[in-house]
Amino acid sequence: MSPSADPLSDGAAPVGGVHITYLVHCPRQLWLYARGYRPEQRSDLVAFGEVVNETTFPRRRDVDLGEAKIDWVTTGAVVHETKSSRAPAPAHSAQVRHYCLLLERRGVNVRGGVVHYPLVRRTVDVLWDDDARTRAEDAEADAQAVIAAATAPERLTRDQCRGCSYLDYCWGD
Amino acid sequence: MPAVGRTYWLTEPCRIRREDNSVRVERQDGSPVRIPITDIRDLVVFDHVDVNTSALSLLSRSGVTLHVLDHYGNHAGHFSPAESMASAAVVRRQVEITADEEQRLAIGRSLVLASAQNLRWSLDTDLLDPALDSLNAALPGCGSSEAIMGEEGNFRRTAWAVLDQRLPPWLRLNGRTRRPPTNAGNAFISYLNSIVYARVLTALRSTPLHPAIGFLHADTDRRRNTLALDLAEPFKPLFAERLLRRTAHQKHLKQNDFETDVGRASLSKDGRKKIAALVREELATTVYHRSLKRKVSYEELIHLEALKIVRLCLEGQPYKPFRPWW
Repeated sequence: MSPSADPLSDGAAPVGGVHITYLVHCPRQLWLYARGYRPEQRSDLVAFGEVVNETTFPRRRDVDLGEAKIDWVTTGAVVHETKSSRAPAPAHSAQVRHYCLLLERRGVNVRGGVVHYPLVRRTVDVLWDDDARTRAEDAEADAQAVIAAATAPERLTRDQCRGCSYLDYCWGD
Repeated sequence: MPAVGRTYWLTEPCRIRREDNSVRVERQDGSPVRIPITDIRDLVVFDHVDVNTSALSLLSRSGVTLHVLDHYGNHAGHFSPAESMASAAVVRRQVEITADEEQRLAIGRSLVLASAQNLRWSLDTDLLDPALDSLNAALPGCGSSEAIMGEEGNFRRTAWAVLDQRLPPWLRLNGRTRRPPTNAGNAFISYLNSIVYARVLTALRSTPLHPAIGFLHADTDRRRNTLALDLAEPFKPLFAERLLRRTAHQKHLKQNDFETDVGRASLSKDGRKKIAALVREELATTVYHRSLKRKVSYEELIHLEALKIVRLCLEGQPYKPFRPWW
């Protein structure tokens, strides 16, 4: 990730899709991720997600924006995102909205987004309008605030940490 | 978090090649074994192994470390991936903490004390209580790493003498020797210590820490990674001394598992295999972890120990060295 990846961000840390997902799921996770603790490699769930990503929609190509990597974009600028999860989560649509925002800043006329859940063969549409734009911008600002904080945010309750690859770090006392 | 992949222990001479995204292990007898790269976390090599560059680049790309143990069980070196997980933010804090004499010595003292207590635990005896008391009394007065290590040496000498009483004569240590170890007992301990060191190094590689910036050992101690040496300390009794006592008791190791010469000893081929099997089983042993609320293997305990240092660096949470709680 080069420091000048996004000329439009005013010197603050570039925020990618992972940052937004982590922000919505758990700010503490985002804080640790930004400081270089990245245990995802060791997580079976993450490895599973990668396999789902590779084996579904194989003809589509990644769009690499530097700070973010969009799963694929179709004509009319619809942003697509594949999730190995079986249930929609707020973090998924927030991530798509962030991609829409990043594309729009690059001068693309974005129409909206779709989250695909290939394991349950469902899709969820993500609207892109003024309201969504505000929410995306707020999320980006929140993420930057969390990253800049001097101390780590509190951990979530134990049951909310299920399946998180940061669990060993936060609870392994 | 169950780790992706597992450790492979290569105890026989073999050749490692790449075949698509698999590692192909060719042994002298029998057909080649193919292992998908995603199933490998790291490789521990005990014997002569030929590796070619395309295999190495596949290992590197998938973040697999290859550890090489020499004939005497010393850690001869390792091949590690080009990209490391290291993070500037964490390493900077690590340097700050280890540069602060007071913090460094405090952590060094607690490491030595915990190792001594673990040793007492693994030998399961109260013969060591006086030695532990005197170590406890001496540690606060130690003003340097050398003094701390000296106190540890005193304690260990007593502990090994106690251990010797429970071993058959041929397996006794009669004082610790290394490079090369002079007798069977020492060869066993050296071997196990090297394996523990290699496990700690693998664990550290999966964290943002730098393995060479440590607390207790001298920065150039045996020219090795200081932090890995430090974190190996509390785990050595769990593996080395405890397994030596157990194998002696169960008569699992035989005299001919060692090649003993005048003044030097090493494990024979069969001995190496036995130890690899023993350690693999031991690393997979699980205990219930109260705050994680699940079973963790001994291998994961080492990983959790490394995470404690990450917590110390990132959030300033005090570091408490590993103590067996079961």
